[in-house]
Amino acid sequence: MAVAITLRSVTKTYSRGGETLRVLDELDLDMDGGTFYALMGPSGSGKTTLLNLVGGLDHCDSGLVQVGGDDLNSLSASELAAWRSANVGFVFQGFNLLPVLSARENVELPLLLAPLSRKQRREQAERALELVGLKDRMKHKPRELSGGQEQRVAIARAIATDPQVLLADEPTGDLDRESADAVLQIMQRLNRELNKTVLMVTHDPQAATYADQTIHLDKGKLGGIEDNRTEAGAN
Amino acid sequence: MPWTLLFRNMIGHPVRSTLTVLSVAVALALLCVLDATARGYTAAVDLAAQNRLVVMSQVSLFVPLPLSYQSKIQQVEGVKTTTKFQWFGGEFGDRGGFFAQFGIDAESFESMYPEIGLVEGSFEEFRGERTGCVIGKGLADQFGWAIGDSVPLTTPLFPRGKSGEEAWTFVVRGIYKALRPNFDEQTMFFHFDYLRESLEAGAALGPPGVGTYAIEIDSGVRAETVMTAVDGLFENGPQRVRTTPEAEFNRQFLSMMGNIPLLLRSIGGAVLFAIFFAVLNTMLMAGRERTRDLGIMKALGFKNGYIGAMLVMESMLLILIGSVLGIALAHLLAGIMKPFVSGWAPGFAIDGAVLLNGLAMAAALGLISGLAPGLRAAKILPVRALREDA
Repeated sequence: MAVAITLRSVTKTYSRGGETLRVLDELDLDMDGGTFYALMGPSGSGKTTLLNLVGGLDHCDSGLVQVGGDDLNSLSASELAAWRSANVGFVFQGFNLLPVLSARENVELPLLLAPLSRKQRREQAERALELVGLKDRMKHKPRELSGGQEQRVAIARAIATDPQVLLADEPTGDLDRESADAVLQIMQRLNRELNKTVLMVTHDPQAATYADQTIHLDKGKLGGIEDNRTEAGAN
Repeated sequence: MPWTLLFRNMIGHPVRSTLTVLSVAVALALLCVLDATARGYTAAVDLAAQNRLVVMSQVSLFVPLPLSYQSKIQQVEGVKTTTKFQWFGGEFGDRGGFFAQFGIDAESFESMYPEIGLVEGSFEEFRGERTGCVIGKGLADQFGWAIGDSVPLTTPLFPRGKSGEEAWTFVVRGIYKALRPNFDEQTMFFHFDYLRESLEAGAALGPPGVGTYAIEIDSGVRAETVMTAVDGLFENGPQRVRTTPEAEFNRQFLSMMGNIPLLLRSIGGAVLFAIFFAVLNTMLMAGRERTRDLGIMKALGFKNGYIGAMLVMESMLLILIGSVLGIALAHLLAGIMKPFVSGWAPGFAIDGAVLLNGLAMAAALGLISGLAPGLRAAKILPVRALREDA
């Protein structure tokens, strides 16, 4: 079942050097389940903060963050961890694979929290790697992979537990165009074929064309939503 | 997989991990050896026989008691048997061989000290030869002595011959092993009569009398009663005496050298303290270096407790490997040290109690040094951890 995301009057502030920064300011936003969203805006507009709130990595100061009906603000740190494990997959700009583990072991990592046997975990990790076209590289350590391959392993790890929401923070920021396109195509496939709700922070307008809609943030407020499906040349 | 991750993280910095493991191994080995020495040292007190008393001069241990006292003590009610103990102070040749030697009464000594078990020779052969002696197994091994060997000793307390440098010769007629750890295996016992007769014949010089008498009391008799009776017997001289339980005598004798167990344990504590900082430093560095990795794990859904426990487990694992090596090293060291320390620490051994104590200390060390980085890792917010530089 596709998972929708709702934000109501969400405010998030940070204190830095004695100054209070209002990163998200009474933000209202509705995202449909099973849709691929690109999240754009200038630096400091609150993109990553929004992603962290939706991913249950942080709490907002006030307002409502609801993902698939779950009010994330009402969950404790421990409940949020369990919620993240079951509902959301993360892809980061810096890949964030554990360097001491092989590609398959990295993908297996979130499966340790699922009630699976060792054999089942391996099989599921291999299926996820197959989905991103890297089954033949499963025994390689991250340092033995290219940037594009590392990011595909990270995507495989993000989808290994079959979460309904995939959150990506500038997933192509460190990649060349060719690798970036390969990664974006995989994310698009995950959205279109497996009906996952995808929210991707990006500075790259070309990357945003892979999304169904582009959300623009400006100084913590909604700047507008653009429907890429009506645009000519959309992927 | 968590174990895989733990091991991989550990070997991620092989030099640092190896050095930490080796530090723990050396520290634990040292701790075990020091503890074994301290326990061995106090064993003479802790395990002293309850039915034995020691009579010494009230003035000092170094003031001899008249030989006539023994028969009088023997007649006190409750006294089962007595033996003499005369310090000889001999040295073996020019090899710097110094060890304890005592002149004793062979007959009563055998029955009073059942913790001495002869493994070679016999008391019968010892009794049958005036210059015979019984030596500890440790002594036999140290000097390579066997039954029938002659042991020449010189002593400034009882100079022999015209020049005073003539050696006393003893023949090994028995080799004993201590059946309880309160007795060492580095001592030689010889016939007191050999010494007495030599002095009486003018073959040697030295003070007459005897250093101490040991008493074995009858079962069911209160030691205090006998002690009071013996002390009262010589109240009017010529030499007043002080009678104490064997444990108390041993304690007083050992305390003349200072509080050795406290000193040894203080050194052990300092070693432990130093190694605690080394392990803590390693774990804090490991925790800080992996902050981003821990943030990733938190993002994946691993709970704070799990993340904290991982670092504590890693610390414990380092300590465990170090401890296994440390125990092996302690056994090796103990084998080398035993001949040198068992003379004054008769119960010296890396036994279960020593190992348990060492391992408990090591486990506490691992736990405490893993807790600081573990708590930090558990507390840090995932968003903050993910912002850390890789």
